[in-house]
Amino acid sequence: MHTAMQQIINGLSLGSIYALLALGYTMVYGIIKLINFAHGDVYMLGAFWGYFIINKYHVDFIVALLSAMIVTAFAGMLIEYLAYRPLRNSPRITALITAIGVSYFLENGMSYLFGANTRNFPQVVKQHNYTAFGINISNIQLLILVTAIILMVLLQLIIQKTKMGTAMRAVAVDQEAAALVGINPDHVISFTFGLGSALAGAAGVLIGLYYNSIDPLMGMTPGIKAFVAAVVGGIGSVPGAAIGGFLIGLLETGVQAIGLSAYKDAAVYVVLILILIVLPSGLLGKNVKEKV
Amino acid sequence: MSRLLQVEHVSKIFGGLKAVEDVSMHVEEGELVALIGPNGAGKTTLFNALTGVSPATEGSVTFNGVSLDKKKPYQVAKMGIARTFQNIRLFHQLSVRENLQAAMTHRYKEDFVSSILRLPTFTKKEALVNGWTDEILAKLDLSDVGEMITANLPYGTQRRVEIARAVASDPKLIFLDEPAAGMNPEETADLTDLIRRLQSEFGLTVVLIEHDMSLVMNIAERIYVLEHGKLIAEGTPAEIQNNQAVITAYLGGGIHV
Amino acid sequence: MTKKKLQANGLWLLVMIVGYLAINLLVYTGVVDSFIENMLVTIGINIILATGLNLIIGFSGQFSLGHAGFMAIGAYATGIILQTVPTVGGFVGSIVVGIIIAIIAAIIVGVPTLRLSGDYLAIATMGAAEIIRVVINNMKITNGAAGLFNIPQFATWPVVYVLVCVTTIVIVNFAHSRAGRAIQAIRDDEIAAEAVGVNPTKWKLAAFVLGAATAAIGGSLHASYIQTIAPSDFGIMNSIALLIIVVLGGVGSMTGTFLAAIVLGVLDTVLQSFGTLRMVIYAVALIVIMVFKPSGLLGRYEFSFAHVLNRHKKEDAA
Repeated sequence: MHTAMQQIINGLSLGSIYALLALGYTMVYGIIKLINFAHGDVYMLGAFWGYFIINKYHVDFIVALLSAMIVTAFAGMLIEYLAYRPLRNSPRITALITAIGVSYFLENGMSYLFGANTRNFPQVVKQHNYTAFGINISNIQLLILVTAIILMVLLQLIIQKTKMGTAMRAVAVDQEAAALVGINPDHVISFTFGLGSALAGAAGVLIGLYYNSIDPLMGMTPGIKAFVAAVVGGIGSVPGAAIGGFLIGLLETGVQAIGLSAYKDAAVYVVLILILIVLPSGLLGKNVKEKV
Repeated sequence: MSRLLQVEHVSKIFGGLKAVEDVSMHVEEGELVALIGPNGAGKTTLFNALTGVSPATEGSVTFNGVSLDKKKPYQVAKMGIARTFQNIRLFHQLSVRENLQAAMTHRYKEDFVSSILRLPTFTKKEALVNGWTDEILAKLDLSDVGEMITANLPYGTQRRVEIARAVASDPKLIFLDEPAAGMNPEETADLTDLIRRLQSEFGLTVVLIEHDMSLVMNIAERIYVLEHGKLIAEGTPAEIQNNQAVITAYLGGGIHV
Repeated sequence: MTKKKLQANGLWLLVMIVGYLAINLLVYTGVVDSFIENMLVTIGINIILATGLNLIIGFSGQFSLGHAGFMAIGAYATGIILQTVPTVGGFVGSIVVGIIIAIIAAIIVGVPTLRLSGDYLAIATMGAAEIIRVVINNMKITNGAAGLFNIPQFATWPVVYVLVCVTTIVIVNFAHSRAGRAIQAIRDDEIAAEAVGVNPTKWKLAAFVLGAATAAIGGSLHASYIQTIAPSDFGIMNSIALLIIVVLGGVGSMTGTFLAAIVLGVLDTVLQSFGTLRMVIYAVALIVIMVFKPSGLLGRYEFSFAHVLNRHKKEDAA
């Protein structure tokens, strides 16, 4: 029972990282139907920014987190402007390949400029372990969970309560119709990239703190996992992405806990395929039947 | 005349909405029947239920003595029911010829090895299929555009190609879903002629959904009228034109003429 | 009509033979050194893999991201069998075994997933390929994560050349037959295809299985040419590398796939001397090509001797 609770705590910590990343995937997909393959690399950028600013200016966690979010938001908007906007009316598979190109560019550009080696993330928050009822939980795990939940609540507020959020939902439903009622889709898409990238940047700083090591290729695997989480939740659905992220996190730690860590990736994909077979558009995705 | 299509008590329910309710109808072999009704009356839904695209919730359909219940659309097509769509659905990246030949795949067998090695049996089959295609193209005045990609064709021609494709699947019965939609009077006149020829020259039984009343009254032998998912009338064009329920349905309730 | 087709087929045969002799001559005279030969073989294997993927994506319209999984099956079939039977017969047998296992795997993967649409299918096939990789990673016979070494080299460039020709003929002829028309109809409009008697499940699966079988051949050649394989050679990124060839050449154009495989192979070789910068340049090149040629290098253009002959006929007549 204790170990189970322990695994749930660990799974939720990891899951909140996936959830933050999955939100970016799902928002971008919801609005322009693009699998933004470079999203995991934006998360890497966030981690590197945190590493840089903490080491150089000795800022605290909050400053590192917020500045990383701002930097990655701009990075995301820049990527959208340079690489994706010219392809707005091209086949979707073309935009996907471009996204892969951007991903390669970020990974290898960072390796080229700063070296491919793994480095230690500065421990800006001293780790404490609390034990209650025989369960270990660190202040960093709490920080990750609390930060992730705050960010998700904020995101939900932005999407549901602000003018921009309404515009985002409108563009996601019908870009042309939104343009007809005076919404500039370019602005909205740019904003969506910024918002999603900021969440990825935050996840990057959090994972740096949690795992204490970062490298230019760190975004690849979590990026794909987070995308799987978004698909499991029903791509395009914001709450779905959050649920999917936590689900994948719990599943991974659970499989690891029962001694099958070699199969943890396979387990994720088995669950993915099973969910898609039963619910072809994921847990919360809308199953739109084509009208005949 | 023998009974080709028998529809008994068919209903289609979406959630709580009864889009089609307890419809029974029949089509005799060689007949030209029209299905009319105001927008949203459930005409296309009924077509979809009959062709297996979106199976009926209740009721049964028999075609040529065989039940169509639980049959998938491609099985229905193989049994001899072809259809066109309200919003044209061509294989837009393929040529007109290829569109027609894609509809013939169930009419012949071609084994993997002979098609890969281009053996004489393959060449013979392809010649046969090309023969069928040329014949249909010629009969439907499409020979000139045979090698054109369908996406590049004018609207009226696309409608014609869709009918040709339906014919290519070698049906007994053909459902036409608003074939005259978006056509100018001249094109409609050509189409009227074409539909008649489907019946006379190709020996097909035709069921037609159409809003163009002059077209319907001109060619239909029998008419069914659907309103709010229910059949409200059946009869010859003359009978339908004088049917009080139909007049009310078309001009709106409460107004008396 | 038939005569012209025969002429066209004859010309293709001529091209294949001349190509073979030309490369042979260049190898013999030393113009093609082992470095360039390596490039040619890599291009050849990539063509085998990518034409199969193009059949699935470009012709049947099913977005598969799991091609490396089927490649892995072929590679490991060859790697394992050649370690016990290091003969030409063993090599041929291992290719056949690889194909059979890949077909079985493709059916197991395809039957439940091919009804998914678009990106959902992509992600499901990617997952299936990863499951295959994880299984290989944890098996004894495959030597786990370390992989297999010293696999005997039977896949020399003439073998690869011949198999490039064979698989291309199979795939192109498949795409231009009854089956090809059925899968392209499904790609363009599945509902309309079903309405004219095409069984979507059956034909999508046929294309998927054929693509998987050719991927297994590519994997076998890879294993026996490189002589070392490990599960990490067959990950998501390898599937994506093949997808890049298909999209760069033009989805639905086999000629484009050939061209893209050659362009990328040459680019890769030329960039070898750039060290770390190589992948940066590669990435930029990829983005630039996609932005300026969104439908790939050749779009849907397909080179065909039959068309060339037809055009000449028309010009003569005019």
